[in-house]
Amino acid sequence: MNAAVARQPVGCLKAALRRTRFQRSWQRCMATEAASPSIPRTAFSQRQHMEQQKVAKFQIWPQVPSPRATHPDPMPALKQQEIARLDPTGARTRLFSREHADSAKVGDVLMVTTKAGEPFSGAFIQLRRRGVDTAILLRGQMMKVGVEMWFKIYSPTVTGIDIIWRKPKRARRARLTFMRKPKHDMGSVDNLVSAWKKERYALRSKAKQGGGRQVR
Amino acid sequence: MPPRIPIRVALPRLAAINRPALLLPHIPQRGIKYGWSTAPPRSKHKRFNQPTSGLPALTTGPAAALKRRENTTPLRTGVLAVKKGMTSIFQGKTRVVCTVLQMDQVQVIANKTREKHGYWAVQIGLGARQGRNVTSPMLGYYEAKGIAPKAELAEFKVRNEEGLLPVGAQLLPDWFQLGQHVDVKARSRGMGFAGGMKRHGFAGQEASHGNSKNHRTIGSTGPSQGSGSRVLPGKKMPGRMGNEFVTVQNLKVLKVDNELGVVLVSGPIPGPKGRIVRLQDAKKRKAPALPYREKAREELDQRQPDLETKLEEARLRHLEMQAQRRSHMAEL
Repeated sequence: MNAAVARQPVGCLKAALRRTRFQRSWQRCMATEAASPSIPRTAFSQRQHMEQQKVAKFQIWPQVPSPRATHPDPMPALKQQEIARLDPTGARTRLFSREHADSAKVGDVLMVTTKAGEPFSGAFIQLRRRGVDTAILLRGQMMKVGVEMWFKIYSPTVTGIDIIWRKPKRARRARLTFMRKPKHDMGSVDNLVSAWKKERYALRSKAKQGGGRQVR
Repeated sequence: MPPRIPIRVALPRLAAINRPALLLPHIPQRGIKYGWSTAPPRSKHKRFNQPTSGLPALTTGPAAALKRRENTTPLRTGVLAVKKGMTSIFQGKTRVVCTVLQMDQVQVIANKTREKHGYWAVQIGLGARQGRNVTSPMLGYYEAKGIAPKAELAEFKVRNEEGLLPVGAQLLPDWFQLGQHVDVKARSRGMGFAGGMKRHGFAGQEASHGNSKNHRTIGSTGPSQGSGSRVLPGKKMPGRMGNEFVTVQNLKVLKVDNELGVVLVSGPIPGPKGRIVRLQDAKKRKAPALPYREKAREELDQRQPDLETKLEEARLRHLEMQAQRRSHMAEL
């Protein structure tokens, strides 16, 4: 080997370097092993220790019951209470729920019956989900003028919401603001409403007849 | 009484004459003082200000101030609460927006009296704080009261001693009557350093017509030479905006719920969610009727009947612990 080293001085240097590198790493590994147990490892820092000492000097009395423990956020519970009061059957919630496939979707034509005045019907443009304050925007016509109306769905003044016409194809927007443009404006929905009324009347009379037969 | 002689004349007294040892000229000592003395003044100047002295009653001073504020000081203490958010409720046909305030572990910490402190007030605490986050003096304070350390403390002035409450009593939302009016005080949202347009509603400057990089600056701050060439004190300028106390008066209590610990008051309230707010019976509206006030007070006593004994226990324990701490310090 000596002969080989003598013959190749560069190779010898390489080997020597490799040896020293290896040695260094070995030393390092030894060093870490030796050093790690010498660092004092305590559960608490100096500051925490001081704090504990301070607290130990005083009597700390038990706390009174807190609503924060049972209801950290009262808002959902409050909203639920209010919705339950305004919509005991859950019909209004179901009409606009995400879970039900037959719920009213944006793009349908709805008719809202209120305590004051005539029912308003129009295209369902937008839904604003805010718990008790959930509201819908309908765009219809009054005296041949386009009119938009917001209705709070849980409001006691709103006595009924009916789906007049379902959009055959699902709307691909959440808010159909483009329906305000003349190109897309639905215009009057009176013919849809009258058709719905006719159909409903027919259904009702049929049901009456059918019911009558059953009773007989 | 015969009129007094204004100047005391040194007249030889009979007794003095009889005694030869005191045959000295009488020197008036009362009115003449040399040097200084720590002795209390002999003349009681206050006798001139007695009610019987015929002078009008004072319009300044602590007593006059209390009298002046009597009508606008609520009868009952207020409470601290945390703003939790806004919602709305329907009252009949109308929709009313309301703010939800949560009363979390609201307790009476101390009472302030006219005799000792100069006014009637109740100190109220809210929430809880870890012992390690409380200073030693405050830990001692809570120790003597028999109350766990609180997150927030505040004082509510009341009209007279009837408004004071037992120490340690917990106040629940039904302290407030449905439909009564309250004043709510809280710090507004902090806006940071804001310019004149945002902070004071200045108009700003024009977008064009030669304006150069001065569209939102406040412009001149005052007249020039002739008016002193100075900026008048109190000039509205850019600076820190918000995070200051704002009071909203006469909000209606729409709902109270002991289980959720919430009070719903009508309308908006300064500050973001999570802000600590003070709410008390309205200054400018009638307080809840006497039967309701009495009922609330009775319920308070019924819920925690043994507050006095607890307080006494806490005081004794406090003395014990104090002695321990002192002996410990002496050892060191």
